Amino acid sequence: MVNKRKASQITREGMVTDEAFQPLLQETYKGKKLTDQINTAEDKWNLLPAFLKVKGLVKQHLDSFNYFVDTDLKKIIKANELVLSDVDPEFYLKYLDIRVGHKSSNVQSNKPVPKEVNLVPHHCRLRDLTYSAPIYVDVEYTRGRKIIVHRDLEIGRMPIMLRSNKCLLDGIDDKQMASYDECPLDPGGYFIVNGTEKVILVQEQLSKNRIIVEADEKKNIVQASVTSSTHERKSKTYVITKNEKIYLKHNSISEDIPIVIILKAAGIISDLEILQLVCGDDSNYQDLFAINFEEAAKLEIFTQQQALHYVGKRVKTIRRAGAPKLSQLQEGIEAIATTIIAHITVADLQFREKALYIAMMTRRVLMTMHNPKMVDDRDYVGNKRLELAGQLMSLLFEDLFKKFNSDFKANIDKILKKPSRVSEFDALLSINIHSNNITMGMNRAISTGNWSLKRFKMERAGVTHVLSRLSYISALGMMTRISSQFEKSRKVSGPRALQPSQFGMLCTSDTPEGEACGLVKNLALMTHITTDDEEDPIRKLCFVLGCEDILEVDSATLHSKGNFGIYLNGTLIGTTRFPAKFVSDFRNLRRTGKVSAFISIYTNTHQAAVHIATDGGRICRPLIIVDKDNKSKVKAKHLAKLMQGNWAFDDFLQHGLVEYLDVNEENDSLIAIYEKDLIDPSKTNITHLEIEPFTVLGAVAGLIPYPHHNQSPRNTYQCAMGKQAIGAIAYNQFRRIDTLLYLMVYPQQPMVKTKTIELIDYDKLPAGQNATVAVMSYSGYDIEDALVLNKASIDRGFGRCQVLRKNTVTLKRYPNHSKDVLSGIRVDDNDHPIPPHASLGIDGLGEVGTKLVNGQVYVNKSVPVNAGESVLNKTEPNQSTESMRETPAYYKGAEPAYVDQVMMSVSDNDQALIKVLLRQTRRPELGDKFSSRHGQKGVCGIIVQQEDLPFNDDGISPDIIMNPHGFPSRMTVGKMIELISGKAGVLNGSLEYGTCFGGSDLEEMSEVLVKNGFNYSGKDMLYSGITGECLQAYIFFGPIYYQKLKHMVLDKMHARARGPRAVLTRQPTEGRSRDGGLRLGEMERDCVIAYGASQLLLERLMISSDAFEVDICNKCGLMGYNTWCTTCNSSENVIKMTIPYAAKLLFQELISMNIAPRLKLGDVF
Amino acid sequence: MSSPQREGFTAPSSISHAAQGYVASKSLGVKYHCAQCGSSFSLNKTDAIRCKDCGHRVIYKARTKRMVQFEAR
Repeated sequence: MVNKRKASQITREGMVTDEAFQPLLQETYKGKKLTDQINTAEDKWNLLPAFLKVKGLVKQHLDSFNYFVDTDLKKIIKANELVLSDVDPEFYLKYLDIRVGHKSSNVQSNKPVPKEVNLVPHHCRLRDLTYSAPIYVDVEYTRGRKIIVHRDLEIGRMPIMLRSNKCLLDGIDDKQMASYDECPLDPGGYFIVNGTEKVILVQEQLSKNRIIVEADEKKNIVQASVTSSTHERKSKTYVITKNEKIYLKHNSISEDIPIVIILKAAGIISDLEILQLVCGDDSNYQDLFAINFEEAAKLEIFTQQQALHYVGKRVKTIRRAGAPKLSQLQEGIEAIATTIIAHITVADLQFREKALYIAMMTRRVLMTMHNPKMVDDRDYVGNKRLELAGQLMSLLFEDLFKKFNSDFKANIDKILKKPSRVSEFDALLSINIHSNNITMGMNRAISTGNWSLKRFKMERAGVTHVLSRLSYISALGMMTRISSQFEKSRKVSGPRALQPSQFGMLCTSDTPEGEACGLVKNLALMTHITTDDEEDPIRKLCFVLGCEDILEVDSATLHSKGNFGIYLNGTLIGTTRFPAKFVSDFRNLRRTGKVSAFISIYTNTHQAAVHIATDGGRICRPLIIVDKDNKSKVKAKHLAKLMQGNWAFDDFLQHGLVEYLDVNEENDSLIAIYEKDLIDPSKTNITHLEIEPFTVLGAVAGLIPYPHHNQSPRNTYQCAMGKQAIGAIAYNQFRRIDTLLYLMVYPQQPMVKTKTIELIDYDKLPAGQNATVAVMSYSGYDIEDALVLNKASIDRGFGRCQVLRKNTVTLKRYPNHSKDVLSGIRVDDNDHPIPPHASLGIDGLGEVGTKLVNGQVYVNKSVPVNAGESVLNKTEPNQSTESMRETPAYYKGAEPAYVDQVMMSVSDNDQALIKVLLRQTRRPELGDKFSSRHGQKGVCGIIVQQEDLPFNDDGISPDIIMNPHGFPSRMTVGKMIELISGKAGVLNGSLEYGTCFGGSDLEEMSEVLVKNGFNYSGKDMLYSGITGECLQAYIFFGPIYYQKLKHMVLDKMHARARGPRAVLTRQPTEGRSRDGGLRLGEMERDCVIAYGASQLLLERLMISSDAFEVDICNKCGLMGYNTWCTTCNSSENVIKMTIPYAAKLLFQELISMNIAPRLKLGDVF
Repeated sequence: MSSPQREGFTAPSSISHAAQGYVASKSLGVKYHCAQCGSSFSLNKTDAIRCKDCGHRVIYKARTKRMVQFEAR
C-alpha cells in the first residue's frame, strides 16, 4: 500500500495540477478506489465536477471577456482601421493589430506571454486603484512621404476581469495565489475599479435578428417584428396586419407600406412570384393574402421603379450636413438596402435575400392569421439571449474608440491646416493626447454603471453592481445572477412566471421576493452561455451537406410540401428535402468536433424549417448522448478514465459522448432523467440522458438539504437568506479592508451536505454552525418564530461574529501648496493623553489593537485653514500651526470597537490614503436573527442558562429550542429530514448528504439511529432542566445547520430623549443615523384625536417637537418681535403665545408670497 | 445611541482651548511594516509613504506596545 502510494505520487509530480481538484487525482475519490466497480447510473454525476473544472460557475463571464479581448477587439479595429485627413489626402493612419496586456515583441517566443498588469489585484483593492492592463496597437501611418510602422503604441488601459486570461491569477496554483494575497476559491469574473469590486451582471434580452410573431386577439392584429442589430445601428422592422391587410412598418418610414409594394420594390415584381414566396400552394393562405394585391393595384404600382418611388417618397430623411441630396428613387433604394432589416447586407443591389426575408415574415404573419396558435412566446428562453460583460465592454470600447479616432482626426486636421510647419508632422505625437479618454471612459462606465452609447441611443443605468461580499455565497450568487430588461412596474405576469423551458438552464428556486420577483434569475449549475461563432464556415458546410442555395431555388417549389427551409441565425439560406438527414448529418459533424460544440441545430415542423444558431448569448447545457438502441454512450470505461484523471470533460465532448444543447435544440430531443428510464420499452426514441438532475438548481439553492421535500417558496426564501448569512468570506478575509465585513468566529461545515456544497466549496468557506435543536415549546419567549438560545453555547462561541468596518481618510494636497497633515496626540498637564486621544499613537493614528469608545479619535487629521485660497494672493508665507484646523475622525457607536489594522498608502493622484479597520466582536444577543437552511428565520427571544434547559439521557442539552408551530404551515419537511440525517451522521461519525432528488435515504438514517439506541423518528426523551422530571412528550431533537444573519440588534437599536433638530423646521431629525426621533404620524395623530386626548396631542405635536414663542399683534394678526408689532408700530395689542415653529415658518413663507395670514386671538375659557 | 454631535456638545473646531491640552512632542518612534517584504521601519512626518527596503507603497502600522485588556465574554 505504501509503495503504491509513493508510485502514484511520483507520477503525479510530473504534471501541473489544479489543487482544488486534487481529490480527483487521489487514490480514493468520493469513497471509491480505482479498482472498485463503476456503476454508470450512480457515477455519471462525476461528469459534473469535471464540467465545473473546465467551465466553472463564472466561466461564462471569463469566456465572454476573453472573447472580447482576444477576438472582438481585433474585429473592432478592423472595422475602424483607417483614419484619414480631410486636409491632406496623402495622410493616412491604419491600425494593424491590437493587443491587451502584452507587447508584440513578447509573442514571438514560445514561452507564455508575461502579463502586463499594473499591480497585483489585491493591492489595487487596498490602494483604491483600477486593475488594468495597457492596450497596445500597431499602426502604419505616413510622415511626410515615408510610411512608418509603429508597434506597441499604448492607446489606453483596459480594466481586466479577474481570472480572465489577461489576469495575473489565470492558471496559477494555490501557492502563488497565496503569495498574491488572493483567495484560491474566489470565483473571479469581476473588475476592480478604483478599489471597488464591480460585477457586470448578465443581461437578458429578446434575441436580435430573429423574427418574433405576436398577436393581439382583441384588436385582431398580428405582427412579426425583427430587431436588426449591426455594428452600425439598431432598428426594428415590423410586418403588421391592419384591417386584414398586411403592411411593413419601420421607424424611418413615415407611413406603413403595403407589403406587396415593398416586395416589388425589393425586386419581386410578378404577383405570381410574390404569391409563391408568401403562400406557396396553400389555398388558405392564398385567400388570406389576395387582398393585398388589390391594394397595390389600386395605387397603380406595378414595377420596381414605381414601388421604389413610392417607398422613397415616404422615407424620413435625416441627412448629415454636406451630404448630397438624393432623388426619390435613390432614397427608396437606400431605404431597402440599408435601413429595412438592416442586419442583412445588400451587395450590388441584389435585394433577393432581403425580399425573401420580408416574404418569410409575411408568411409567418399569414400563418398566425390562419391559426392564432402559431405565435411565438416572448418569455420562452429559446427566444432570449444573455448579454455578458464582454459584449457590453465591446459596445463601450467601440464607442470610445470611434470617439478617440474622431478626436485624433480633428487634431491632425488642425495641425495640417497650418500652412507652414517647422518640422515634419508626426501623427503619433498627437495620438497620445487622447489616450486618457479610453481609459477614463471605461473606468467611468464600470464604476457608475451608466452605459451611454450615442450610436445606439442606448442609455442604460445600473449595468454594474458592487460585488456583495457579505458571504462567499452572496459573492457567488451575484456572479450567476441575470437581470432582465423588463420594467419592474409592469403588471404582466408572463415575464415573471417560471417558464418550463428554464429547466436545467435557470435555477427554479433562486429569485428575489417583491418587485424584482421572477425578473432577476440565476443560472443553474451546469449552464454555459455561448459566445459568437463564425457564420460563413457553417453556411458553406450547409451547402456541402446538401442544402440548396436559396438564390437558386425556384420560387414555386420553395413552400412545396416536404421542402424544409434552412435558416442560419434566422436568415433563410437554402432549402432541403431531407431535413432529418441534414440535421443528423450536421449533428454528427458536431459530435465529432468538426463544428463548434456550441452551434445548435433543430427542426421546427410547424414552420417547415431547420434552424441553425451560431450567435452568442444562448444558454446551453451538456447532456449525455443516448444512441439508437437506447444505450447511454457514456460507459463505465469512460467514467473510469475520468476518475483516473486521464480524461477531462472536453474528452467526453470530443468523443461524442456528451454534447451541449441549447433551449431550442432541447425541444427537439427526448431527455431521460435516470438511466433506468432508458430500459423502459415504451420509450424508444430517447436521445439524451441527464447528467445529474440536481443541476436544475443553481449554486445558491444547492445549499439546501433535501429541497425536494420542502414547499417551494421556502426554498426561494432560503436562497435570499443564504446570501445574508455570516460566515467565512475568503481565505484572504483578514487581509481585506472592505467597507463592511461580517465574519463568523467559528464557522462549521454542515453535517448534512449536498453535492453542490462540495462543488462550490461551501464546505471550505461555510457560513453557519451545526446547532443541536430541540423542537419544543419553552418559556413562552419562543412564539412567532423566536428562538431560545443556550447561554453556555453562546459562551462557547455559538453564533459569535466579528464586524469589521473600514474608515478612509485621505490627506489632500491643495493648489496653494498647502496640504492636510496628521497632528499628533494632545496631552494634559500630567503628560497623559486627553480622553478623546487615549487610543491615538504619537503619529496621530489609532494604535493598532487599542480600544475605541464613543467619541474617541482614531485619525487626528488637520486641514489648512487657507486651503481654498489661490496661489496668487498668498498672505501668509509659511503655514504655522495656528492656520490648521483639526478635523479628526471620531468613532461613533454604542459598543466600543478595536483598531484592527491601520493601512497607509498612496492613491493614484499622489495623495496619502489611510484606511483604518475597526473591529467588533459580537456574541448573539436578544433580537439577533438566525435561520436554518429552509427559509425558517427567527430572532433570539430569550437566552437561557444551560442549567434550565432540558437534557437527554446523555446529558446533552440543546443549543437552540425551536417552537414546533414553525412546521405545520411552512411544510419544511426537508428540515426534519436534515435533523434525522444529521443526528445519524453525528452518531455514525459521518457527514451525510441531502442532495436534491437524492441524498442519504431516510430509512437508512433511521436504521442508524436505532442501531445507536435512539428512536427511529429522531425523538428523544428529555428531562426538564427546571424540575428534573421527564417531559410529557418525546422531543424531536438533533443537529440542524443554523446561519446567523447579518441583521443584528446592535446595528438597529435606537432611542432618543433629546437630540439634534433640523435647522429649517426646528423639528427633531429623522432616522437612526442622525439620532432622530420617532415620528407620531398622521394615522397615530388620528387615533389621538379620535380618543380626545387633546393635551397629549399638544405635547406630542408641539411641546416635544418645535414649540416656539411668538409675539402676535391682535390688531393686525401678524407676528412681531420683542413685544413690538412692526406693522402697527405699537406694542399695544401684542400677545405672547406658543405655536409650532413650522407654523411660524409657514406664515412667513406665505407672507413672502404676498399672502397675509392673520391670526385672530380670542379667549377660550 | 449617543453621538458626539449632540445638541449640548460640539466638537472643538480650533485648538486654541488650553483646557484641551497641548500637542505632545514629535519624537516619532512608531513602527510600520511593509505589506510586501514585511520589513519594519519608522517614518518621519515628511517621509513619503513607502517601504524603506523595497519601495512598496502599502504599509501597515505595527501593533501597539501598550497593554490591551479584553473582556472575555
